[in-house]
Amino acid sequence: MSVWKTNDPDTKKILYVQTHGEKDPERTATPFFLATAGAAMDNEVCIYFTMNGPQCLAKGNGDKIVIPRKGGNGKELKYFIDQAQEIGVRLLVCQPSLDLHGYTMDDMIEGVEMIGGAAFNDMACDADAVIGF
Amino acid sequence: MTDVIKEDQVLDCSGMLCPMPVVKASKAMKELQSGQVLKMIATDPGAPPDMEAWSRQTGNELLRSLTEEGKFIFFLRKK
Repeated sequence: MSVWKTNDPDTKKILYVQTHGEKDPERTATPFFLATAGAAMDNEVCIYFTMNGPQCLAKGNGDKIVIPRKGGNGKELKYFIDQAQEIGVRLLVCQPSLDLHGYTMDDMIEGVEMIGGAAFNDMACDADAVIGF
Repeated sequence: MTDVIKEDQVLDCSGMLCPMPVVKASKAMKELQSGQVLKMIATDPGAPPDMEAWSRQTGNELLRSLTEEGKFIFFLRKK
C-alpha cells in the first residue's frame, strides 16, 4: 500500500525533500510554497523531511524560524507551513532523522506523518517528480 | 475585434505574490460549475506563465489573457 493516496492516473504526484532546518532559515520556506502551488494545480503533493528538515516541523519552531528578507520584515515559517497544510500538502518524517535531533512524534506539529526509508523510496519510484532541497 | 467573454465570478489577486494567486484561483474554481468562467486579476509579474501552467496542468481552459493598466487579467473556464 503506497503512501500516495490517489488512484486517479491523471493526478500527478510530486515529492519534495527538505533537508534544511534552523541553521538555514532562508532555505526553509521555498519547499512549502512550491508544494502549495503544486497542490493548487490539483496534484498530490508530499514533503519528506530528513537530515535537519524535521526542525521545520518541531512545535514552536514555526514561529522561531523567520525567513530573512532584505530590508527587514521577515516572515515566520509557520505562515508557509499553514498554507501548505491547508491546501492538503502532507508532511512526512522518518524515525532516524527525528532521533538525530532527539525528537519524538510528540515534538512534531499536528498532521505530520511518519514513514520509513523503504516507503520513501517506494514513493519516489511512483512519483512523477521528486525535487530535493 | 474579439468576442466579449462573460465571467461568472471575479477574483481579484492584486498585490498577492506567488503562490497565492494560484492558490486563490484553485479555491475559486472549486466553487464554480463545469463550463463557468472565472475572471482573475493579478499584479504578480509571475502570474502570466503561472496561470498558463496552471491551466495546462489542471485542464481548466485559459480562454484569454490580457494586460490592462498594468494588471494581468485571465479568463479561465472550469473543465
